[in-house]
This record gives sequence, structure tokens and C-alpha cells, in this order.
Amino acid sequence: MADQEKTSILVLDDEEIVIRRLRPALEKYGYEVETFVHSQNAFDRIMAKNFDIVITDLKMEGMDGMQLLTVIKDRSPHTEVIVITGFATMETAKTSFQKGVFDFLAKPFKLGEIFDTVRRAEEKIKSSQGA
Amino acid sequence: MIRGIRHHIRRLHQRTRPVPMSVLFSRFQDILQLNNRILELMADMNDKSGADYVFDIQYIRSACGEMTGLVKQLIDSFNRFANGRYHALWKPFERISDEIESELAGRRNIPDAPLVMPYKEITVAFADMVGGKNANLAELKNQLGLPVPEGFAVTLAAFYKILEENALADRIADIARKWSAGVLPLQTASNQIQVMVLEAKIPGSVRKAIRDAQGRIQKDAGGERLLWSVRSSATGEDGEHSFAGQFLTRLNIRSEEIVSAYQEVLASTYSASAMAYRRQKGIDEAEAAMAVGFQPMVTARKSGVLFTLDAAAPETDAMVLSATWGMGEPIVSGEAQADQYRLERSAPYRVLKTDISLKNRQLMARPEGGSVHEPVDAERQTRACLTDGEIRRIADIGMTIEKYFRSPQDIEWSIDIDGNLFVLQARPLNIRVQLRDMVCDMPAMLKGFPVIFAGKGVIAQSGIISGPVRVVRNDEDLVDFPPGAILVARQSSPKFAAVAGRVNGIITDIGSPTGHMANIAREFRIPTILDTGVATKLLANGREITMDAGENVVYEGIIKALCYYEFSEPGFEESYEYRLLRRMLKKIAPLALTDPNDKQFTPRGCRTYHDITRFIHEKAVEALIESNQTSGLQSPDASMRRLKSEIPIDLSILDIGGGVANGTGKKRVLPADGIGSVPMRAFLEGLELGDLWETHPMPVDFRGFMSSLTRTFSPQLATPRFIGRNLAVISKEYANISLRLGYHFSLIDAYVCERINDNYVYFRFMGGVTEPVRRNRRARLIALILEQNDFKVRLRQDLVVARIKKFDMDRMIRTVRLLGQLVAFTRQLDVRMDSDDQIDCYLKKFTDINNDRETVKTPGEDQNGRSGKNIDFSPGR
Repeated sequence: MADQEKTSILVLDDEEIVIRRLRPALEKYGYEVETFVHSQNAFDRIMAKNFDIVITDLKMEGMDGMQLLTVIKDRSPHTEVIVITGFATMETAKTSFQKGVFDFLAKPFKLGEIFDTVRRAEEKIKSSQGA
Repeated sequence: MIRGIRHHIRRLHQRTRPVPMSVLFSRFQDILQLNNRILELMADMNDKSGADYVFDIQYIRSACGEMTGLVKQLIDSFNRFANGRYHALWKPFERISDEIESELAGRRNIPDAPLVMPYKEITVAFADMVGGKNANLAELKNQLGLPVPEGFAVTLAAFYKILEENALADRIADIARKWSAGVLPLQTASNQIQVMVLEAKIPGSVRKAIRDAQGRIQKDAGGERLLWSVRSSATGEDGEHSFAGQFLTRLNIRSEEIVSAYQEVLASTYSASAMAYRRQKGIDEAEAAMAVGFQPMVTARKSGVLFTLDAAAPETDAMVLSATWGMGEPIVSGEAQADQYRLERSAPYRVLKTDISLKNRQLMARPEGGSVHEPVDAERQTRACLTDGEIRRIADIGMTIEKYFRSPQDIEWSIDIDGNLFVLQARPLNIRVQLRDMVCDMPAMLKGFPVIFAGKGVIAQSGIISGPVRVVRNDEDLVDFPPGAILVARQSSPKFAAVAGRVNGIITDIGSPTGHMANIAREFRIPTILDTGVATKLLANGREITMDAGENVVYEGIIKALCYYEFSEPGFEESYEYRLLRRMLKKIAPLALTDPNDKQFTPRGCRTYHDITRFIHEKAVEALIESNQTSGLQSPDASMRRLKSEIPIDLSILDIGGGVANGTGKKRVLPADGIGSVPMRAFLEGLELGDLWETHPMPVDFRGFMSSLTRTFSPQLATPRFIGRNLAVISKEYANISLRLGYHFSLIDAYVCERINDNYVYFRFMGGVTEPVRRNRRARLIALILEQNDFKVRLRQDLVVARIKKFDMDRMIRTVRLLGQLVAFTRQLDVRMDSDDQIDCYLKKFTDINNDRETVKTPGEDQNGRSGKNIDFSPGR
């Protein structure tokens, strides 16, 4: 893996506020970020491009979270998925999506927490590519 | 666990059903628990509204729902506890919960505000109703005491009333929709709405309210005819959004024209640029609302603008001050030459550079309204218009405002013909981007500044700030608290709210991030580190420090770069969700009820959930004390036992749960070591330090003296065990001790456990055998000793009331132990206190005796030259 290449991240959350906070913060740390509030648009984009990391909520309208996850894993098995969801729905999310999800983060979370998670996901990508 | 207690309480209200002490106490504990959960949730919501967190609207909904539920439970529990005496609390509760619910449901809340508010009545809590500009000016005037001309705000209530009575809301929404849909061009939409507002009928009640407010100011000004400034004060304007120049300002308006000027300013709510700006910022047109500010014009001899940081070159770390003769508008609009000064940003604000311009014209107000350009007489054209003193004063005010609003400021000022300086406007300078470039390499910049301490305590509010230390030991220290200092104190206190506008930061030895004070710090965004354990030892008055309440480090010296770093933090307040959370917090977190002795300390005075919570906490403690005092002990009770102790004290013990160790059986006599109650044990230990007194020369042997006076029953009582005065109601963590030792009456009410927030000690002392003057001397002595030991003390003649809260368990035990010693020490004193000098003498004696015993003497205490103060009376650990 070329070290200079930026890690690409897709962020999907139907609440604009989450996007507005995450995009500039991740960009400041040198990531290449694309954001979506509608799952169909994100879905279309995922069909067109392999992202290193996908950060997504699971409570969206229009698409089943499981369906989305399956598509991502089918299209690009190396993509790491980080699920961000409300505290109340976290347990359900964990039981339903245990497989194939890199990590879960309950909203609200600190920017520092998502950075840590993203960094760990990067490590994993690097080590699997190095192996 | 709780023994069956058949003992009943004679309540103040005899008609109500008596409640067993055990039940009453368990209700009290419910209240404490709810109080804690509410404060924690409040702290949590405040945290989430900070720069660090990413949250969504789901979170706001669930947190607000939980908060309302908890407060409801609290009021319920409290009313059960207090026999329904506080149903009046439901009224503020319902008002607040309705407002929260309606806003969450997306209905813009129409504030239940008066149509007009004089500046002197406006506090931060009213910002939503008077708009940002009015709120800021009123804060400068009321909180910081800066010279802002008196004025009044016509509130949003008036705005909404006008919309309603003219049925404008739907028509405006309709035009806005057409604009959004691209059917109407912006300018047309704006014009149409503005015409509608200009043609609207201003309701009689609004007109009258404006006229009345105007008349009052006119009258205060000695009835002289005034000219007025009429300024926009939209929600968010000058606060989170700049809206600079998008709304109308009318100056030099005659009193007769004031209402039509108001209407013109209202119409400018829908100026094309304002509408475009709102769309860009994601603000819905339905959110747009305008309050308006009215102030008498200052008869300006000279005026100008101060940038507290040079916006064009922030890296030069200088202020820029411009000044000209007459009114300041030509400078603001950039059409006139002005004198310009560059100044240092810290006192004494040395002038770095002066440019004196030719000022041949000045804008002057005309008595008949409006203004006119006049020639400046030759002598003044080339003369500097400001004196050195004036420059310093303007600069000083500028820095005060910058620190308060935590951002470099753009300030308009005028000096009138009598030489009085006035602040007319203050708004944040928009220079974040430049600042961010300046502070890119923070780690390198920090090298060379020694760390005084780091990683101690907990952060209640993050932020970076510099300033000189000011140690606050009592309420008086708050009175002349210097603006821009960092408040250092032993213990956090809600009373710090009084200086919230002046204080740069707060550091305490003790305190909890879920306490009332921490919430105040968050509300005012005052960088705050609590519970450091070392602050008052390491930080002496006047020492200049920089605190980074983000990384939790306190540095030696003023580190400007670090402070700029804070200014450069991007605004995260620009989304609907942040505004919503903040609006919710305003209904929840501000604390107006800080002083229980205040007249406003009533259910009616409660404006927020925090007020309700604080009110209940205070009243619950009070009620518990009352109920113990009024408890009739006429019927001997099985669970009432008599203390058997080395000390000749005639004390009955009533255990309401876990206050007595297992294995003591049911005997009527309870040995002292059978006491399991934490505060009770501590108190008895204090009393028992008899050897302490015996080893010191006392005219009367302590034991002998004590035994001669502790038989407290009056002769007419047949069963001395139940005379009902020397009584302790105890549980594992609680003790309520009523004593008549000697001829004075003491009451100790203490709750001591592992949870800092629950801990308190209440002490009351009264009475004596001698005449009032001597009794007062003794009371003063007691008050002094208690104050030295961090109690909040009230003294009224021979009544001493002292409270202390929120120390950790260990410290609380030592505090209660001290009270034991104090009670023993002072019980005999009034007999001997012949002169005021003896107060100091005995104070010293008490302190010395304890000092001798004091094995752990903390370093640094002597730094302040106050070695006699704040002595720890612990008998050694």
C-alpha cells in the first residue's frame, strides 16, 4: 500500500449534524471523506467505488442496514465498517450486525473516539495488506 | 434493615398524618438520589453541547425526556416527604416541561415575556426574548458594570404579537416558500414581506409599552428631550451569527417617531441579505424573529471603534483603536479619516504607534432629530482627540469584554461632552481563520512554560485562559473580584455565579463535576478544574498562570498563543441541533436561586429545572432538621436507647437504619462502640477528646465541668431519659444530634457517605446563660472557628448557622469531629467572655490546642502568610 495515498472514508447518517461535524474533523486529519444523508445515494456510491472505511448509522429509511452491510462486504471485502448508532439501539445493532462490523460507537461520541476507531481500522487494513 | 419504629412525629401541620421517622428518612434519601441523577444528567448534557461531542437530535429528545421524568419524580418525592407542602412547584415544572416539549415537537416557542424589558432587568436567561445584541449590552451593563447607556428592549413577544394580530406568519411563510421554490426572486420576496411588515398595525399594547419605557428613561434623565438609537437585535445576531450590517439601525430618532422607527427595524428582519444569510446558515425563515433595542443617544464629543485584536494582522498581538470628533458612524462606515492607535493587549496598554489624521468634519446630532456634518474648528483638526487616560480606559473595557465573550471584539464607543465614556456596541471579530494559522504548532510553543500542576482533579468546563490568581476564602472576596482573574478556592460554591461575568477561570481544591457550581461554569463556559486538592496550596494571590482546562494543565505565566488557540477553535454552534440543545439547556441548567436567604428562593422563583432541584435540596435538608426538632418524644419508644459513654452526656439514640452496629442486642443502654453511624461516631470522637482539654490549663477541669452541666433535664420532668433535647437520630450515614449542653442549644445535622454530592453538615448554635453581649461574643467566636474550617456561616446575635457541603467522606468525618470538639470547647465560654479581645484570644487558644495535636501540617499553607488560617483540626490519621 502506498503510504502517501489517503485513506478514503464514506460517512452515512441521516442526520445532517453528524455529517457536518465528522467531515471537517476527518478532513483535518488528512482523510479523504465523502458524506451522505440518503442511504440510496450512499449505496449507489459504494457500488461505484471501494472505500477503505465506511462509517454508518443503521436506522435509516429506505434501506435495511443488513442489506447495506452485505453489499459493502460483497463489493469490497477489505472495507472496514464502523457502526454509529444511538445508545438505545446499540444492543440490537450489536446482536444483529456482529458479523462483518469492525466496531460500534454509541452516539453521542467524542471526536477523539471516532479518530481512535478509525486509526485502529487503518492499522487492520495495513496489516492485512502487508501480510 | 430498618427497625420498626412506632415513634411518631409531631409535625408543624398537626392535621396531616404523622410519618414515621424511618419513612421520612428513606424519602429524604430518595430525594438525594434523584438530585444527584439530575445534576449528573445536566452535566452530561452540558458536556455534549461542548466542542468535543458529536450528537444527533435523537439524543436531545431522549436526554430531555429523561430529565423531565427525573424532575417530576423529584417533585413527587419531595411532596411526599414534605406532606404536600410544595405543590406550588408543579407550576414552574409544567411551564418548563411544556416549553421543552413544544420546542422538541418543532414548534417555535413564543417566549412568555413582557413586551418590553428595561436593560437593568435583562439577564442571560432572557437572551432568547430580547435578542443577542440587547442581551449582550445588558450583560455588559449588569454583569460587568460597564458604562452602557440605559435602555430597553422590545422583546420577541411584541414581534410575535404583531405577526399574530396582523396574520402575517402564514403570508410570510408563503412568500418564503415561493422564493425557495424559485418562483420569486430574492429581492421581490424580500420587498413584499417588508412592505407587509411596514403596513402592519402595531397593537396598542405594544405602543403603550414602548411609550411607558421611553417615558421612564426620559423622566430619569430629568425630563429633558432625548434622541434615541433604535437598533436591531435579532436572535443570534452578534452571538453565534454575525448578521453584520444586514439589519437596520436608526439613530437620532425623536421620541415622537420612535414607534415608526421600531417598525422600520422590524421590517429589516426580511432584508434580502438577511434572508440570503439565513438560507446559507440553514436557518428557516420561520425561525427569524426580531427584538429591538432603544437607548437615548449619547451626545458624543468624540467616538470611535476598538478592535481588541488587529483583524488584519492578529499575529502582531495588538489592539487597534480609532477615534474622531463627533459621532462614530463615519468611522464605522469607513467614510472618514480618524486617529489611529496601536496598543498592547495587556495593562497598562502601552501605545505602540499613533497616527493622527486631519479631522476637518464631524457628524453631530441635531436637536430636532437626525444628524449633520459640521466643520471642526481649526485647532482641533490636527489634534489627537483622545487623552492617554481615555485610551487606557477604552482598552481596559475592551479586554474585559473580550474575556467575557471569549473572543476578540469589535467595540463602538463614545465620550460625551462631560467626558463620560460609553460602550455602544460590542460584537465578536470574525478572525478565526487567521488565528488558526498562527497557532499551528502548539507543542513547540508550550516549551519553556513550567507546569505548576497537571492531571489533578476533574474538568468541569474545558477552555484555555490566562490571568492572575485570586484566592477566594469568603463571600467578601467575591465582592471586589477583579475582572479577568482566575478564581482559586478551597471549595466550589454556587455563589461564584455572582462573578461569572468577571472570572477568567475557576480552580478548586474540592468539588464535584456534577455539583451546582460546575453547571454554572458550563453555562458561562468558564474554564473550570475542580477537586485538584492542591490549588490553594500552590496558587497564591496575584501569581500569573495559564490554565488549560482541556488537557488539564496549569502553567506558570501568561501563554498568549495558547489562548489564541482557543479563539481559533471552529464554531460548532451553527447547526439547528446545537441551537436546539442550547435552547433546551437554557430551560434546564441556569441557576437563579443561589442564595437560600434570598426573597426569591421560592417555588415561584424557580425558572429552570436546576432551580427546582436546588430549591428542593435546600428545603429537604431544612425540613428534615425541623421534623427532628419538632418530633415529640412523649411516648417512650422501644428503639430509643441511651448512650453509655466515658463522656458524661445524657444522650438518647434513635436508630432509623444501620446506625447501630450488629450484636448490640436490644438493650436500652448502648455502648459508644456500638454506634455504627459514621457521622455520630465522628461527633462522639470529637467530644471525647477530653484529654485534649485536660492537658491545657483550664480554670475548671473539663470532665468535672461537663458533668456538672450535662444533666439537662428540668426538675419538673420525672423521666430524664426522655426530656427530648439530648437526642441523636442516626442511620449508617446520617446523624441528627440535638444537644443542650450547658445552657446552650446545639444542633448538628450531618450526612456523610462515599458520594461527595450527598455530603453535608449543618450546625446550629444558640443560647447561653449570660447576658446577650457575652452570648454574642461566644457566637462570634464560634462563627470565626467555623469559617476557618470552610463552613458557610451566618451569625445573628447569638445564633450561629453554619453549613458545609460536598467534601469527601474523610474530610467530612474530620469536620464532624471538629464540631464535637467545638461543642465541648465553647459550652462553658460565655461565662468568661468579658471583652471582645477575648474572641481573638480564645480563637487562638482553640487553634493552638488543635495545632499541637495536628500532626499532618500541609506544606504551602504558609505561602499566603495565613498560617493560622485553614488549619486542619484532624486529631491525626
